Parts: sequence; C-alpha cells; structure tokens
Amino acid sequence: MSHSHERPKEQERRGFVRGAQDFAGGIFLLLLAALGLWLMRGLPQGRLSAMGPAMLPDWLSIGVGLCGVALLVNGLLKHGAALERWSLRGPVFIILAILAFAATIRPLSLGGFSLPGLGMIVAGPLAILIGGCATPEARLRELVILSLSLTPFCMLLFGDMLNLPIPVFPQALTGLFPAGWSQKDILRACSAIMAAAALIMFLTGRRRHTTKVDVAIETEQG
Amino acid sequence: MSDLVSNLSLGFGVALSLQNLGLAFLGCLVGTLIGVLPGVGPIATIAMLLPITFGLDPVGALIMLAGIYYGAQYGGSTTAILVNIPGEATSVVTTLDGHQMARQGRAGVALGIAAIGSFFAGTVATLVIAALGAPLTRLALIFGPAEYFSLMVMGLVFAVVLARGSILKAVAMILVGVLLSTVGTDLETGEERMTFGLPFLSDGIDFAVLAMGIFGIAEILRNLDQTETRDVVRQAIGRLLPNRDDFKQSYASVLRGTVIGSILGILPGNGAVLGPFASYTVEKKLAKDPSRFGRGAIEGVAGPESANNAGAQTSFIPLLTLGIPPNAVMALMVGAMTIHGIVPGPQVMTRNPNLFWGMIASMWVGNLMLLIINLPLIGMWVRLLKVPYRLMFPAILMFCCIGIYSINSLPTDVVFIGLFGLVGYLLITLGFEPAPMLLGFVLGKLMEENLRRALILSRGSLSTFIERPVSAGLLAVAIVLLVLALLPSVRKGRDEVFTE
Repeated sequence: MSHSHERPKEQERRGFVRGAQDFAGGIFLLLLAALGLWLMRGLPQGRLSAMGPAMLPDWLSIGVGLCGVALLVNGLLKHGAALERWSLRGPVFIILAILAFAATIRPLSLGGFSLPGLGMIVAGPLAILIGGCATPEARLRELVILSLSLTPFCMLLFGDMLNLPIPVFPQALTGLFPAGWSQKDILRACSAIMAAAALIMFLTGRRRHTTKVDVAIETEQG
Repeated sequence: MSDLVSNLSLGFGVALSLQNLGLAFLGCLVGTLIGVLPGVGPIATIAMLLPITFGLDPVGALIMLAGIYYGAQYGGSTTAILVNIPGEATSVVTTLDGHQMARQGRAGVALGIAAIGSFFAGTVATLVIAALGAPLTRLALIFGPAEYFSLMVMGLVFAVVLARGSILKAVAMILVGVLLSTVGTDLETGEERMTFGLPFLSDGIDFAVLAMGIFGIAEILRNLDQTETRDVVRQAIGRLLPNRDDFKQSYASVLRGTVIGSILGILPGNGAVLGPFASYTVEKKLAKDPSRFGRGAIEGVAGPESANNAGAQTSFIPLLTLGIPPNAVMALMVGAMTIHGIVPGPQVMTRNPNLFWGMIASMWVGNLMLLIINLPLIGMWVRLLKVPYRLMFPAILMFCCIGIYSINSLPTDVVFIGLFGLVGYLLITLGFEPAPMLLGFVLGKLMEENLRRALILSRGSLSTFIERPVSAGLLAVAIVLLVLALLPSVRKGRDEVFTE
C-alpha cells in the first residue's frame, strides 16, 4: 500500500474494480459477443471447404468475447482510467432531433399512428430547434433565426439546384399558392419567405438587444 | 516513361475541361467550408457531401469528391492552426507548432507554408501514383484470394499497431468492425444474418451511415460534454507568404515529409495516419535546437503537413490498383464509385482510362486550387471559426440528417446515424478508438469473400495461406509487426510518438 496515497480517494472506495473504464469496456464487449452468438443461433457453420453463413460471425463473436474477458480481468487487476462523467442532456436531445427529422421528412405510419410527409421545410427546423437544446447555453431566439436561414439555403441547394429526390414541403401547401405555380416556384417562394423572416428577426433582435449581445460576446472571448 | 507522359496528358485533357475544373473548384471550396468546422473531419465531410455529386457523370463526381477530400483535409489544418482543435487524427500534430505560430502573430505564415508544402507534396504524390499505378496493377493480377486475404490481415494488423492506446482494445474494435460487416444477407448462401428480421438490414449496414454516426454524431455528443474553450487566435493573421528565411528553414522538412508521407500512405491499414507523427519526430530529432518544437517552429508545421497531404494522396494507390480501400475515406470513395457503377480495382485502369488518369490529374489540379482558394479566403474561415459551437452543432446535425437521407431516401438511415452516434459516444467514453472498427468494417466483406474462395480452392486446408509464398510473406510481416508492437520497449516509443 505504499502508493495508496497517490490514488484519488474515489478509486479506493470502488473496491475490487480498479480500472472502471476497462471493466465496463469488457462487459460491453461480452454483451456484444453474446448478442452476436444469440442472433446467429440456428444458422449452420459449415466446413472450412464450404463455409456456412455462421462460421465467420460465430468465430468473430468468440474473439470479441475473449477480448472482453481479457479487458474485464485487466480492469479487476490493474489500476486504470475511471469512467468519465457524462450528462444525459446531449444524447437525449440529439437523438430526439434525429428521430423528429426521420419522422417528418416523409409520410410515416407506425401502427395506428401516421403523419403526412412534411418535408424539409418542417424536418430541418425541427432538427435544429430540438437538437439545439442539447447544450445548456441554448437560446431559443438564435436557434429560430438559424433554422429560418439554414433551411431555405438547404432547400434551394438540395431541392432546386441539385434536384435530389428529397421531399421539400407538404403537398397540402400547394393549395395555398396560385394554381399555375410549379413545384420549384413554390419551393423558391417558401425559401424567400423564410429567409425574409430570418432577416427581420435578426434585425429587430439586434436593435433591441444591442448592448446585451455585446456583453455576451465579450464574456465568451475572455 | 513515354507511357507515363501520354497517360498524364490524357488525364490532364480530362481534368482541365471547363466542367471538371469547375467541379474540382466547387469540391475544394465546399470541402474546406465543411472541413473547417471544428469536430468535422474529412470522413464526416465526405459522407455529408456525397449526395451533391449524385447528379454528375462518374468522372466529374469522382473529381469533385477528390476535391472535397483535399478541401476537408486542408480545412482541418486551418482549424488546427487557428483554433487548436484538430479536425481529425492527422492534424493533431499541426496543432503543436501551428497554433503556437498563430499565437505569435504568424498564423498567415503557418497557413501559407502548410498550403505550399501540401501543394509540393501533392505534386510529388501525383507523380508517384502515375508511375506506380501501372506496375502495381500488374502485380494485382497475380494476386489470388489467399494473397488478398493475407494482405487485408496485414492491413488490419497495421491499424492495430497504429491505433492509440491499448492494443487489446484496438484488436477488439477490429473484430467488432468485421462482425458488423457480416450483418445482412450472406452472399453465398442467401441466409439473413443478424438482421433482427428487419428488411432494411438485409442489405447490410451502409458504410456512409456507420461513418456519419461514428464520426459525425458521436463527435457532436463528445464535444457537448466539454465546456467550450475555443481559443480562436485574436492576433493578426499576418502576411501569408513565407519569406526567404522561412523557406530556408522549412524546405528540407517539406522534402522529408513528402517522402515519409508518400511511402506510409501506400501501406494498407491507414498508414497515412502515421505520416505526420513520423515526420514530426524526424524533424525534432534532426533539428539543431529541438527545444524550439512546440513553441512555433515552422519545420513542425511544414514537415507534417506535407506528409499528411502526400499520404492522403498515395492512399489512393491500394484502392485504384488492388481495389482495397486502405482507410475510411477511401471506403467512402468505393461507395461513391459503386453508386456510379464502377467497381474499384485493377480493371478500372484498363476499362476506364479516362476516369483513372483524369482523377489522378485532377488531384494535382485540386492541390493547386487549394493554394489559390484558401490563401485569400483565410479571413472568411477565421470569421466562421468565431461562430460559437452552440450554433454550429445544430447546423452540422441538420446537414448530417439531410445528407444521409438523400443518399438512399430512407428515414431508417437517419435513425441509424443516431444509433451509431450513441454507440460511438459509448465507445469513446469506454476508451475505445472507433477508427480501427471502421477499417474492420470496410475490409470485412472483402475478407470473408476471399477467405471463402481461398478455402474452396484449397479444399478446406488452411495451410494454403502459408504455402503460397506471397501470402506467407504478407502474413509474416503482419506477425512481425504485431510482435514488435507488443515488445515493451517499442510500446513505450509508440506511446511517446502519439502523446507528443
């Protein structure tokens, strides 16, 4: 115990696990290996001269499992890095944002629940607004301006210039515009409206909060 | 020699057409624009921008992608110098002296020498590819499945040796990567493997989805954990062109970096990553006054940046001649080529000489463009880098979603980048490095296919890998490398190289 005073107290209290990171990593690999073997159950391994579908995955899973055991033992025997603290806020909001984008970009029906395809005009801002909340420093106003300016940019780039088959706006929107307008005209009109809204918000916000914004920038740089 | 000249002139004929010049320019520009964003490396950049090349003809698409790649690389160096945040593993070294130079008001010179060194390295590497392309393609024709398998094993061992941190963890990551590549329908027997019965998994996991999750989303999650301490240089950028003294100090480093990078880049298993580290170590060893390193020595920027670019380019060689992607970026190139109906490998050169030589010539054109675009645009990149991360990451997130959706028009792909993002984040917090996993995934399918074929040919005898001389030689190299990496003295040196 000659070196015990060098170790932080927290690690001593943990008891028999000395390298928490390795220990957890070992468990993760073991779970993965078990999952692989379980999913491949029932498929034939075949022979070396005629490999079956399960041969390689099975042996790989076993290899992963062995690495897991070695890491686990390592974590028990050797002092190593502790687990880093991690917050839930980031992952939760980022995943929610991604799910929101996936659910709204085109028609979705899950069981009894269904959504019409809303396209990039809704999915883009949703991803930015929800995802933006992943940091505690989020400010709603900034995010709204960001989404109102980036979305039309992407709409024009991907939908208009590059002609990618990505849904841009809900079909219901067509009814709001004069009958003769083509899809592209509507796309451009929507983009223009959004960009104008972003500009207006930006300018009004600027006039009202001039002093406030400057302070914020200074503290960031300091 | 006359072959080389005629081939290159064919290539330049293709690359210098107005349309292709425009595409190379556009690729470099958007590549830099996205690559400059902190936390977005070349892999995420290419995955994000892949869809914008879909509407083009194959030659144009690949030229643009190559431009995006160089742009992203150079954007990463810009971020490393100006903000001290490496965009990817290879620009870690550039932060050491590059950012110190920036703090001394010499950011312009650092960026200038990086661009000039890269351009020189790129020129040499282009010639190397042009010269080695044809002979290596002939070599590929004597490769059977056993040789291919052994070569890939060697590549993976390389990746283990080059990975940072624990070797055990790197091995585990490689195995997980190969395991992931077996998800989907088995091509030989038609059986579905590990698909959970989900139809969209029966084609396997899309590489772009995995790469975007691990290198795009997971990176956002990781950055969110760290409180923002971005250190954008506030000093003047200073003059851009290095003066005579700077050139005198750095030309030898550029030459050495180019040689080191070119050689390491050819190796399978992402040897290019080692280039900048090796070059930095060499420069420090050779310097009269090593203590200047880490305090803004221009050689510490010139050498590694040249090595980086040379390696980035020569890593095309295994892909174009053998059809084996040596790293994740090249795997994305494979994806792009397959979308346009081109199967990478030795036959590309004979069947599509336009594409092959056009792409090689466009590499040089791309490097020249970077030099022209970036130097005047540095002011713009500086302003972009001052945008706080709280605004930057939602934008990156949306680009990722739109980019990945437009590749296959599948909302499930979007969900999967989230899932792989979480997995990548978990791996990082558990101390695993995701890069070897990606390489395992990239090579996995090819490995299984070649293993199977080799064993069918040998009627199930594993000794075929040792009896065939080329295969035995490759495996021997792999074993020697692994043993060397495990030796305590070498391990210490390896750790030093990576922590420096």
